[in-house]
Amino acid sequence: MERTKLARITSIWIIVILVLFILSIVFGILMRLSQGKVISQSPVSFYSLMTTHGLTMIGIWFVAGMAGVNYLMQRYVFAPVKSNIFALLLTIIGVVLLWVTTFVGNFHTGWTFLYPLPFKIAWAQWATPLFLVSLVILGVGWLVWSVSMLIAILKKYPITRALAWQHFERNPSFETPPFILITVITLIGVITCLLAAVLLLGLFFAEYFSSGTFVNDPLLMKNLTYFFGHTIANEMLYLGLATLYELLPEVSGRPKWKTSWYVALAWNCTLVFILTAFFHHMYMDFVQPEGFQIVGQLASYLASLPAVAVTVFSTLTLIYRNPIRWSLTNTLYFMGVAGWVIGGLGAVIDATIVNNFVLHNTLWVPAHFHTYNAMGNVLFSLAFFNWAANGFTGSTESSKANRLKIALLLIGGTGFLLMFYLGGAYSIPRRFNIYPGEFSLAAPFAWIAAIFATVYLVAILIFFWNISRKCLKLLTYS
Amino acid sequence: MGDKQGSILILFLLLAAVVTAVFIYVYVSSTTKSSQEESAKSFSNAQRFWFFLLLIVTLSVFATVTIPKSPYYLFEEESPSKVVFVAARQFYWTLSYKAIDSESPGIGEAIELQSGEVIEFRVTSLDVNHGFAIYDESNNLVAQTQAMPGYVNRLRWKFEKPGAYKVLCLEYCGIAHAVMRASFTVR
Amino acid sequence: MLKATYIFLTILLAWVSELYAQPPAYNYNLEEETNIYKHVADIKVITEERNVHLSEIYSERPVILVLVFTRCTGVCNPLLMRLKENFAFINSRSEFTILVLSFDPRDSLEDMQSMAKRFTLEEDPQWRFAISREMDELNQSIGFNPVWDSRRKQFDHAALLVGVNKNGFITKKLIGLRNQEALTAMIREINDVFIPSYPLPNNKQFFSCFNYDPATGKNSPGWGLLILSLPSMLTLLLVLVIGNIYSHKHPRS
Repeated sequence: MERTKLARITSIWIIVILVLFILSIVFGILMRLSQGKVISQSPVSFYSLMTTHGLTMIGIWFVAGMAGVNYLMQRYVFAPVKSNIFALLLTIIGVVLLWVTTFVGNFHTGWTFLYPLPFKIAWAQWATPLFLVSLVILGVGWLVWSVSMLIAILKKYPITRALAWQHFERNPSFETPPFILITVITLIGVITCLLAAVLLLGLFFAEYFSSGTFVNDPLLMKNLTYFFGHTIANEMLYLGLATLYELLPEVSGRPKWKTSWYVALAWNCTLVFILTAFFHHMYMDFVQPEGFQIVGQLASYLASLPAVAVTVFSTLTLIYRNPIRWSLTNTLYFMGVAGWVIGGLGAVIDATIVNNFVLHNTLWVPAHFHTYNAMGNVLFSLAFFNWAANGFTGSTESSKANRLKIALLLIGGTGFLLMFYLGGAYSIPRRFNIYPGEFSLAAPFAWIAAIFATVYLVAILIFFWNISRKCLKLLTYS
Repeated sequence: MGDKQGSILILFLLLAAVVTAVFIYVYVSSTTKSSQEESAKSFSNAQRFWFFLLLIVTLSVFATVTIPKSPYYLFEEESPSKVVFVAARQFYWTLSYKAIDSESPGIGEAIELQSGEVIEFRVTSLDVNHGFAIYDESNNLVAQTQAMPGYVNRLRWKFEKPGAYKVLCLEYCGIAHAVMRASFTVR
Repeated sequence: MLKATYIFLTILLAWVSELYAQPPAYNYNLEEETNIYKHVADIKVITEERNVHLSEIYSERPVILVLVFTRCTGVCNPLLMRLKENFAFINSRSEFTILVLSFDPRDSLEDMQSMAKRFTLEEDPQWRFAISREMDELNQSIGFNPVWDSRRKQFDHAALLVGVNKNGFITKKLIGLRNQEALTAMIREINDVFIPSYPLPNNKQFFSCFNYDPATGKNSPGWGLLILSLPSMLTLLLVLVIGNIYSHKHPRS
């Protein structure tokens, strides 16, 4: 049994993340039930729930990716432990404080907390500063963690090798493991977006403490908000992919993937594209210079190229007509890639400005990002959790149980997401606690989605039961 | 469902179905007995390159076709026949033919427009971000722009279909976000 | 590695120093947003050369109408002086006519020509000084309401500029003594150049993403843009510094 400190911390992360995931799904189901007119919620309750759901989900799947990468990193470098624990503590504190602001203080700006909404106080006075403070706590923990992981890698690999630049030479003298390449690229992106959050929060605090003498530019704040928000949501997906690159071939009984010049090129380009794609959140802000809008569309399109041409193609060719040792882990990875591609289709469609004109802020938006997550990144992380938990205890579960989990995820996930896509096509607005009567399909879509989400939740509960038992076994083993 | 939205949905579902089919096919190919008997399939870089090329051509076509049709410069050659000023605030839309005083926005006036004419909406917000979204009688989203405090966004649109149009808020702005609406008619 | 860091810092500093830009002072008067896209009344105008319809002037080139009267002891002279100064400095490739019209029935063409001489604009082909007997019609179409003060024998009126495009539509109005930025915005509007957004004035905004320069129609980077680029720059710097610190640990290949 794996008993290292890192294994123990990772198992704590897994349990915490799964518990928060289950609770967040319940919040989401409550929201859809409310929109479906099955239950009745006050607007304040709904929107506080919505704020909690969004922030918690982004937070947990980000730390899930980080924890996975931190754990696997020990195969290559001396993986940091202290900063991991530090991040765990600050994450728990940050999330608790966040929940206090929303559930006790009724803070309800939505997870994007778009300036100047946090200052139009329709909740407890203390909720706004506490909210900002909780984000600072999360940010500090995560920044320290990501920098320390980067340092761990750069201690062993020079930057140019970490970025696999030697692969552009004819005969590279050294092969950068794909895991290291992807991790470094992603950590650079993570640090960048966390610094954007630092600036954003700094500007918020400056205005908060200035009593009106310092007023921010809403356009700048919006740009910073989406620079942080979009980028972190994408980087967390790449953290999941880093674990996929490392584990999928191994678990499937196939030879390890190697970095080549096009893998190096793809991932280096991804860094640039991911940091400039966030402009696609501002298409309907006509005040943005047209150049930025076009950069947004082009970067969003270009970001799909390395993803599909390298990762997806490699995944498909790894599997195609090859004898694969199918288990829950690689099945989840494989499904996750499919989900990621489909979410990407929805995303590229919405990232086309002419489409965004009629899709922006309709249900199409949550459709695509829930696809990326619920049927993409979440599956990557669940795959890692499953693999890690089995590794901790040296056990697996029956294929029948696995088939049940997969089926529930597929059915629940597909149905839940389809309702969002249909909603978007019917121009149903997002973030409405109650749908206007003339959108006759909106409420049915919502409660049907709640049913499917419940099916998905059952799968997650089974995962939780299986995985957390193994994690607890590790933690209690003395 | 609007025509545009309908085609988008069909395109998406079709592509999603194709992707699903490909993944299922690949999965099945790895589980059938024959795969274990044959030698493992490997793919050359050439095949990856062709796949990449197909992708880049498709995306380039989409980019080239769609970017020039972006809504920022709609009807820029034409002179609008009317300007409608829009000021959003929590949780009320003020629509007026006259510029709106931020100190005393008032309740605006009834707006009646002519079909086939270019209208210019000058949209701003008096407090937080809102989303000015125009829906037609079939509840399809027709056009939108953001209402940002401190800025005026100019949206030009030509209404071909007469009827009653409504304005919904499409940027979350607080508890009454879902009930914030306005309307106007097009003759 | 150290060299790369220094070069990077130098480039960063050079770029930062270029970024400083003054936000344009864009004053905003609600009355300016009336009569927009309305058709200006096609009145008969009496100029030095001949009597001509307004449409003959604007169909040739877009027009900026300036409403004054020669016996004005108020804003008219400062307005014309300001306009003359600003238009001299505005480097606009577009052609337009500045038509100075009197709304005072007492003013004759000779009065207007004297006015032109006072401003040494009598030879300038871009400036035309004129009167009309149909000012009521024009005033109504442009939303101009001069009020006669019988005690002071003066008109109380706004310092109004009306921009008319080549089709006779009012595309912009400016009220008060305006600077170059506002005037160049007007020139763009009368030339039917569409800018999809404009800022409202807010003295308290410290960091704008962009400062819109109506002269070029482009947005020049403001301090806000620097802030937006900072995360990437700082991360790059951080990576270089960390790489630098640990570079001695790596065996030379």
